[in-house]
Amino acid sequence: MFDTIIIGSGPAGLSAAGILKDGQNVLIIDEYYHPGGRLLGQLYEEEKDVWWNGQEIADSLFGDVKEAVAFRPSTSVINIEKDAHFTIHTTRGTFESYNVIVATGAREKSFPLPGWDLPGVMTVGAAQVLTNFQRVAPGDRGVIIGMNPLSLVIALELGYADIEVAKICLPPDNPLNEQSPVDAFETLLALGGLAPSKFIASASRLGAKLPLSHKAAVKLFPKSGVNAMGLPISIREKVTRINGREQVESVTVHEVDSKGRILPKKSRTIPCDFVCISDGLAPLSEICSLLNMKHVYIESLGGYVPLHDNRMRTEIENLYVAGNITGIENAKVAMLQGELAASQIIGDEANSRTTLEKINHERYYAKVKFHPELTRGKEQLESLWLEYMK
Amino acid sequence: MTKRITHHTILGLVEDDKVPFNWNGQTLYGSSRDSLTSALLANDVRILRRHEKDGKPRGLYCNIGHCSECRVTVDGRRNQRACMTPLEENMTVESQDMLPYLTEGGKRDV
Ligand SMILES: Cc1cc2nc3c(=O)[nH]c(=O)nc-3n(C[C@H](O)[C@H](O)[C@H](O)COP(=O)(O)OP(=O)(O)OC[C@H]3O[C@@H](n4cnc5c(N)ncnc54)[C@H](O)[C@@H]3O)c2cc1C
Ligand code: FES
Repeated sequence: MFDTIIIGSGPAGLSAAGILKDGQNVLIIDEYYHPGGRLLGQLYEEEKDVWWNGQEIADSLFGDVKEAVAFRPSTSVINIEKDAHFTIHTTRGTFESYNVIVATGAREKSFPLPGWDLPGVMTVGAAQVLTNFQRVAPGDRGVIIGMNPLSLVIALELGYADIEVAKICLPPDNPLNEQSPVDAFETLLALGGLAPSKFIASASRLGAKLPLSHKAAVKLFPKSGVNAMGLPISIREKVTRINGREQVESVTVHEVDSKGRILPKKSRTIPCDFVCISDGLAPLSEICSLLNMKHVYIESLGGYVPLHDNRMRTEIENLYVAGNITGIENAKVAMLQGELAASQIIGDEANSRTTLEKINHERYYAKVKFHPELTRGKEQLESLWLEYMK
Repeated sequence: MTKRITHHTILGLVEDDKVPFNWNGQTLYGSSRDSLTSALLANDVRILRRHEKDGKPRGLYCNIGHCSECRVTVDGRRNQRACMTPLEENMTVESQDMLPYLTEGGKRDV
């Protein structure tokens, strides 16, 4: 019997273990073969010459706990039961504990388009892990479909590895896709103020050069795109299909008007050997669903999250959540949330309070922000929690 | 042609590949940090399997265990996620093929 089982060895899970390791008997379970979760592959310049290297951070977080806790990699949690204690069923045996922290992170969303099942099409996250963690190029020349903070940061990362990004374009229209040129333009502007890298500076300059309303600005956006920080961005073009016989050979792009409507006669082909699709991130919460926990849908948090309070408590006693399962945010917030959940488990109220303050601070000053309305989403969550627990 | 990024401006150098494994009867080499998806891609192998029903080629998609597009047979065990399987020396990895017709003259969606 363990005091606490932590599901997920990302920044949230490893940081929770760091707090618990001295006083408790702890098991961390992860289905990947290396600890670190989505830290593995993260790479960006926080300020001039200061790099956020996710793997280094993962290795150091794991180094801090590995002698003191049990770790089971390559082990997937497939079911969870609760009576007097928790029973966790995995692909490699069953484990029991008094407390559980679910820190399973997030998944990437995709939008379908013709040809998306060809070998060579992948998520941007796949390209990130290949390039920076496994050190294998996803291809020689890629096209990225979808414009959001993650896809733009990863486009830069491909550049650091000398992999050519031929174009960053919008997805095609269909009932599931709705990114218009105006939305994309707003994403670029928002990044201009917030994101870490040099890209930001160029994107802001881009905004400054186009002072009119966003709609008018989109009209002025050069049809063939702009080159901001080496990124060939087109918000006036949409990829309508991915072509290839046995694997990706090219994409077909169509010009669009400022409302995002495709101009059927204006198309061209861009040769490439890989394509990355990116439609943002969503919390990964199947394990909480297995316990029939109440979930709420909050757009700015990335979708459905298990109902929880700002101290990571859930409706199930002794079950805590931490990290991206509570809403999409950067790895620093995830680390603090892991510490907070662990502080709650050991009843350290003083540390809980200071960690909570740190979370609010990091949220406000975050270099990587995934949604501009995040704080409002968190407030909405808190009031739903209070209502539910009445 | 290898797709290994041995030199990286920020992340520095990595060692050359030396872990041998078997892919569809052929000996290839990967590195100790590889999953099967990355080891195969480093050897320019993109097609991991044929779709059970229509035989279309499929490759890795998410590379972190979420989509199950990368299913291969590892040391005789079918349907292992290649992206979640760390490369081990002398592993035998095979692609999976279309399933046979289940009934005579039948359709694949029976
Ligand atoms: C593809 C991708 C790329 C990202 N890139 C960036 C980036 O560049 N910068 C940034 O700031 N943020 C990025 N993020 C956001 C990222 O989610 C956070 O930065 C942070 O890693 C979240 O930490 P976490 O601990 O909550 O979860 P994660 O880091 O996602 O870790 C969760 C862990 O849980 C494991 N797990 C999940 N389910 C199970 C199960 N059933 N059984 C066993 N183990 C399980 C997973 O294998 C994983 O290791 C990215 C997210 C994704 C999905
Ligand atoms: S590539 Fe998605 S599960 Fe392996």
